[in-house]
Amino acid sequence: MAAQTLAEAAVIEGNYAVAFPFFGAERRGAPVLAFTRIDSKKIYSKTQVYAPDCVVVLDDSLLDTIDVVAGLKPEGTVVINSKEEPDDIDLGVSVRTAAVDATSVALEILKAPITNTAILGAFAKTTGIVRLDSLEDAIGTRFGEKLGKKTGERNALAARTAFERTVTGRSRGVKKLEPKKQWLPTYQELPAGGALIEGKTEAGLIGPGSFIENKVMGWATFRPLRDKEKCTMCLLCWFYCPEGTIVRISDRGDLMTNYDYCKGCGVCANECPVDAIKMLRARV
Amino acid sequence: MKIRDLPDDDLFTAGHTACPGCGVAMSIRNAIRILGKDTAVYVPSSCAAVFGTSFPYGAWKVPFFHTAFENTGACLTGMQAAFEMKGKRVTAVGFAGDGGTYDIGLQSMSGAAERNDDVIYICLDNEAYMNTGIQRSGGTPFGAWTTTTPVGKRIQGNRSFKKNLGDIVIAHEIPYYATLSIGHPLDFIKKVEKAKDIKGFRFLHMFTPCIPGWKMDPAKTVEVTRLAVESGMWTLYEVENGEKRITYKPGKMKRVKDYLIIQGRFRHMNEDDIKKLQMWVCRKWNLHYKEKGTPEICEIELPEEHHAVTEEHREMHGP
Repeated sequence: MAAQTLAEAAVIEGNYAVAFPFFGAERRGAPVLAFTRIDSKKIYSKTQVYAPDCVVVLDDSLLDTIDVVAGLKPEGTVVINSKEEPDDIDLGVSVRTAAVDATSVALEILKAPITNTAILGAFAKTTGIVRLDSLEDAIGTRFGEKLGKKTGERNALAARTAFERTVTGRSRGVKKLEPKKQWLPTYQELPAGGALIEGKTEAGLIGPGSFIENKVMGWATFRPLRDKEKCTMCLLCWFYCPEGTIVRISDRGDLMTNYDYCKGCGVCANECPVDAIKMLRARV
Repeated sequence: MKIRDLPDDDLFTAGHTACPGCGVAMSIRNAIRILGKDTAVYVPSSCAAVFGTSFPYGAWKVPFFHTAFENTGACLTGMQAAFEMKGKRVTAVGFAGDGGTYDIGLQSMSGAAERNDDVIYICLDNEAYMNTGIQRSGGTPFGAWTTTTPVGKRIQGNRSFKKNLGDIVIAHEIPYYATLSIGHPLDFIKKVEKAKDIKGFRFLHMFTPCIPGWKMDPAKTVEVTRLAVESGMWTLYEVENGEKRITYKPGKMKRVKDYLIIQGRFRHMNEDDIKKLQMWVCRKWNLHYKEKGTPEICEIELPEEHHAVTEEHREMHGP
């Protein structure tokens, strides 16, 4: 939706623009990609963007797992949703970088950690490809049409606030991101029918139960904190937790919270009958 | 069995990739906890197949099998027959979505039910095809927004009512059919346990909220299932050898509006549509709880004609 809104802002200014997402998982929280092409001439290219002028990162936890600057032109720009100063962000290459704490902006204004409109404000300030007023117009119409005029206005305000708070600098280029190891067997090595038993490869566990190595804490904006004094051990949070974040240890008659798997849904806090669980901002 | 009697170990491990607050993940985690490790699972194409496994990784610690969308019933039959031939005491369990049960898998499920094969069929009903990006299914309620029932100027949201799958399944005269909701843990545990011990075709119908599809706050997953039961949109009952028993009756009927208001998929609904849905709910409430007359909440009289045929429906498809 952010990519489309950006394209619309460019069209308002009399340019041509194309926006489209990368088709993949429909699930929430999974890393996704979207592209926008802007030009003063008609655009005939329909492929994905492989050498972008600007990369916008909506979640800085991705920096640890994905090479976000892959293909970026040397004179290109990176816009990141991060609490850190741009000069402290390590991207593996030194490029012009802008940072804004869009999550805080979104929580203040939209009361939800939805950062796509706020980050567009940062994009407008850093690149100057679109003006803030046309961006606000585009957000107002696109979000206003779908979600009501008030929501449109609030999203435009989020973009303006992020515009004002954006800091620009140059990223550090120290980090070497090692590509994630993958298990790539040939078809002769695969068991018949693709039937896998529990096993270990150089890339980690495979087969039944191997998802345990998949840490998903990067999804969480909030995470639960349990007050042991108040807790009555009714085990409802353990029963309801869809992730297995809350681990029960019967021998000790206790519960443990494993934040590696918490996606921050907040069901446990909402359902606790004695209000012993509070949701706090993760990664502060 | 109570919550504290459930085993510590997870047979569906952490690290799966479901959305935060997923009702399906909650339901399958607890169902497999109760069913135990002597279980083999079949999942057709659905969210559960995608977030629970992605080759070569998987969250299931029990044997897991996946082929096509429409054959949950047939695959379960085959698995059970194979275990029997090998002399193994293993329960074959299928977790199909509402698309894979109400529409695409109906024939296969019906076949397995008719043969009374000794398997457990679990329908995870999130009221649309959520995995492919929220398209209408036979389980989608009246008025709900989906990408194939969009909100336009003239027609807003889904125009047909939720299919009564329960009665279709019960008509096969199977030994056990039950509806479950994750918001009622003791009822949930009791029914899964009961299904585990019965022989023959057992059908568990689970109500599983979908956060992106229902456009709601992930923290409200459990709350919304309770509201559904209290408003009459979902009823908790079981049918054992043809005998129906209500397992949980809410005290006073809540307005269907209270259920609709916390979900974005119903946000566009106008008063007329809400009334229509309320009438449908009142009729269902009376049928299930055998109350005489209409609950006070239905302020208008019930029409004589068949409830599923609405005016718009007639305009679109003719009389």
